Amino acid sequence: MPIIYKKVLREMFIRYRSISVAILALTIGLWGVGTLLVSMHIMSNDLNQNFLQTKPAHIYLKSENFHKLDIDELLARPDIMAAEFRDKATLRVEVHKNEWLPLWLYSVNDFEKMSMGRFFKQNGRFPPAKGTILIERNNLLISDLNVGSTARVQSKGEIVETKISGIVFDPGQAPSTQDAFVYAYTDKENYSRLTGSPAQQRLMIRFSNAETKEDVKAKFKKLSNDFSRLGIKINSFYIPKFNEHPHQFQLNTLLYLNGIIGLLSFVMAMVLVSQLMSSIFTQQIRQIGIMKAIGASRTHIFKIYIAFILLMSLASILIGLPLAIITGKAYSAFVSGVINFDILTTQMPPAIYIVITLVGFVMPIIFSLPALLKGMNISVNDALSDYGIKTKRRVTSSNNLGIINSSMLSLSMRNIARRKGRMMVTMVTMALGVAIFLTGFNVRSSLQEFLDKTSQSMKYDLKVALKQPLPLAMALLPFKNIEKIKSIEGWVGGVGRIQSDSISTSTGIGIIATPFDSRLKEHDLMDGVWLTGSEELEFVANQQAALEFKPVVIGKSYPIVLKEQKLLARLVGVVREFDIAKIYLDLDKYNRLVNTDKKINSLMISLNNRAYDNVLEVKKEVEQIIEKAGMDVIYVMSQTERAVIIFNHLNIILTIILFLSLLVLSVSSMGMGSAMGINVIERTREIGVLRAIGATPKMVVNLFVIEGFIISVLSIFAGLLLALPMSALAANFFGELILGEDTPLDFAFSELGFTITLIVTLLFGYIASRAPANKATEITVHKAIAYE
Amino acid sequence: MKNIIELEQTSKSFIQGDRIFTALKEVSLTINKGEYIAIVGKSGSGKSTLLNLITGIDHPSCGVVRVNGTDIHQLSESELATWRGKNIGIVFQFFQLIPTLTVIENILLAMEFVNAIPKNERQQRANSLLEMVDILDHGDKFPTALSGGEQQRAAIARALANDPDILVADEPTGNLDSSTAMSIKAIFSELVANGTTVVVVTHEGIDDSAFDRIIELKDGEIVLGITNASASEE
Ligand SMILES: Nc1ncnc2c1ncn2[C@@H]1O[C@H](COP(=O)(O)OP(=O)(O)OP(=O)(O)O)[C@@H](O)[C@H]1O
Ligand SMILES: [Mg+2]
Repeated sequence: MPIIYKKVLREMFIRYRSISVAILALTIGLWGVGTLLVSMHIMSNDLNQNFLQTKPAHIYLKSENFHKLDIDELLARPDIMAAEFRDKATLRVEVHKNEWLPLWLYSVNDFEKMSMGRFFKQNGRFPPAKGTILIERNNLLISDLNVGSTARVQSKGEIVETKISGIVFDPGQAPSTQDAFVYAYTDKENYSRLTGSPAQQRLMIRFSNAETKEDVKAKFKKLSNDFSRLGIKINSFYIPKFNEHPHQFQLNTLLYLNGIIGLLSFVMAMVLVSQLMSSIFTQQIRQIGIMKAIGASRTHIFKIYIAFILLMSLASILIGLPLAIITGKAYSAFVSGVINFDILTTQMPPAIYIVITLVGFVMPIIFSLPALLKGMNISVNDALSDYGIKTKRRVTSSNNLGIINSSMLSLSMRNIARRKGRMMVTMVTMALGVAIFLTGFNVRSSLQEFLDKTSQSMKYDLKVALKQPLPLAMALLPFKNIEKIKSIEGWVGGVGRIQSDSISTSTGIGIIATPFDSRLKEHDLMDGVWLTGSEELEFVANQQAALEFKPVVIGKSYPIVLKEQKLLARLVGVVREFDIAKIYLDLDKYNRLVNTDKKINSLMISLNNRAYDNVLEVKKEVEQIIEKAGMDVIYVMSQTERAVIIFNHLNIILTIILFLSLLVLSVSSMGMGSAMGINVIERTREIGVLRAIGATPKMVVNLFVIEGFIISVLSIFAGLLLALPMSALAANFFGELILGEDTPLDFAFSELGFTITLIVTLLFGYIASRAPANKATEITVHKAIAYE
Repeated sequence: MKNIIELEQTSKSFIQGDRIFTALKEVSLTINKGEYIAIVGKSGSGKSTLLNLITGIDHPSCGVVRVNGTDIHQLSESELATWRGKNIGIVFQFFQLIPTLTVIENILLAMEFVNAIPKNERQQRANSLLEMVDILDHGDKFPTALSGGEQQRAAIARALANDPDILVADEPTGNLDSSTAMSIKAIFSELVANGTTVVVVTHEGIDDSAFDRIIELKDGEIVLGITNASASEE
């Protein structure tokens, strides 16, 4: 082996400490990007694949006249790719003793020949035995239900029982672990038995050549004309987001975040690498001088250090690549578990390996280039005088004694000032780490605050949603004897439509009619005012509903359709809430205009004792009463539980933000450690002299620790400043992602986060300066003066 | 070729802040092949600067430096490096061996850079160089395991790796005790006897009759060139 490569290997062996830190930094960087690439590749493909393999319906239509429809004729139309009946009823099922969750029960025409909305066998029987149901696999995690058990189903106030004969996987559904729904599938006869309603009243359609929601709307418009000619009256229709999984938003957030934070930590790892490389080169400058003096050309120097870098890169690739594949897959598996989809990707495409390997080789070279070029181009004279024969000129012995006596603080300050460039880089990366970490906490508390506000805005503790409207007195009757109840208000909830363009809109607008002066709800007003109770018909929209009116003008009247009646109502305000599109109306006016029999369908119960345990206890009591009284209920929900459900939607995202930002912070402190390391090397002689004139090891350690402390404090300060705009941006971003367009979250400052950041940064800063400082104490007078 | 080193009106100035300091002032100097030259003078008189111009480590501000017939400051950096490796051996005050390589590897490295000695002869040549400087036993040791005198011998052996015509040394014995210094000087004399041109910066050189010529510098100028009688026969 040529001597130069022998030298490279020995050098790496001897400097194993800095080399391993450099390899570690490279590995972390590569690991980060690699995990990012792998998981992005897997998840962006697989969730969509999972969803698309269900062949999602483009539109759902409800009608009672579908018997007039010749389905074969419909299927023969060029526009129609597939059409199939799939009834859906919302019932309730007992998941644990006296705990009920909404049940979405579907009737399936032919389990073996589903043309859309497909789901897949997991366990037990498929198709289900006659008169039994199949449930979705995610339900197993939130209930006692399983194959062979009997489900108690509440339907029209009665309890009906049905056996579960199998488990299926339905990638088209939102994960029930997050949304708290049970999904069940059965045949038409059993469906009618359980629901007491006829089947074949809900039709799913997939259009050919539909690429967007707009296409679907247009095609439906044409179809609905034909339907009315046939005498088929469409009661309602629903167009879901086009080819998009209901929890795609969650995945998108994760992918965005991964992307941003992964790239940032990669950049930081690379900054660290460039610092480490320049530290290694600093140690080598004199040797470069000698080698040049005895005949080494720039090519030789280049070869030596490129070999150096390539070997380190190789090591980092050997560790980082398999690690990235493993964690990328594990991370995808974790997320797929949360969102309930299957990982379909088994083999990484070669491109992923190639990209990661390339990144692993090329990036370190690019980032070491400044140091490498400096080494190649330095003149023999400069190289030798940097350390060697001429250094005697550099030793300033005049005021060393003074330095020891003067405060260590001012010496540290002076050193920071002396190495401005490097310290700036260190400070900027540290500050960035601090800022991201702090932003993670701030966003978390923004969300937390928003959730608190949401659940506090609800002054009721339990909400009972009735399936069939009842007169208020009748609805209240069964609950008369529960002493723990403070008060009950009756509201009306329903579905209405907003007329926003030539054809009527999607049907998803919820209508809530509430006493305008109800004390059970506080409002997070974004714009305008709450209902005033004026004589005119007013309404307030939540931010999701506001998206349906474009442009949103407070004070303008919009046509709305309530119980088939077209009315003009004035928009007086917009509120922010984590909910589907909803509008609020005054109950009195609603009753007068469209609800003359004054039936209500929601009971808003508030309790004397609002503690969580008490609420759950009362909830069970309420459930028992409902069962006994045979009330037909959609759900009983407690506000606290609702907050938990919402939080579950966001928690995974928050946790990952914090984890990733901790990674960023640790990478930046490694950068600080390496900058400190360079300092120690460069000041070897100074330290030796200090020791020679009487500095104790402790003093030397303090010199660096104080320096590290100053840098940490300055970084925290800069990071804090930086975190403010970053948190505001992030709050905006999250607001839009979770709540919809133009709905920023409020900026919140997390004191806890700040405290943790403070402690973590100081701790990291201490470690990062302590290790090189210890190394500095190993510098004896002899070593420092002996030039080696 | 008789004149192996020629300096014509060579000056070297350093810019220090806003003023220019001239370390060498229009020095003209000719050194013949096979001469043993001592350069003496007070600290700061410009000795190292002169040596650095001869080796091409530093560039003159004006004037010409011709070594072995080559105007060395016309060469590019890379050409200069190879040229230097082939033609000039350099010995430093502080030995400057590569600490991660053994003594013999230090020598082989110099051969590898210049590529003037055929590969299959290198090992043997390195051994005979070590034998010449009397440290054959230490060839496989790392420099730190050697005494100062032994390290300097090793450095000389490395300087001779590519069989250069000229050996240049900046205070090679400045860091050694007097008896060790004597043995190093003996090696230089032996080299001169074998035809190598040797230029040494030294402090204690004036009374040393081994030198063919002693050149004294003062404030960047040659003030004295004593020629020893024994050298004039050449
Ligand atoms: N790189 C430089 N920058 C500025 N001035 C320099 C530089 N190198 C040398 N000098 C100055 O040039 C003058 C001559 O320096 P040189 O190193 O040649 O002296 P010297 O005779 O070798 O001294 P010593 O015996 O102490 O080694 C000195 O005054 C020195 O300060
Ligand atoms: Mg000198």
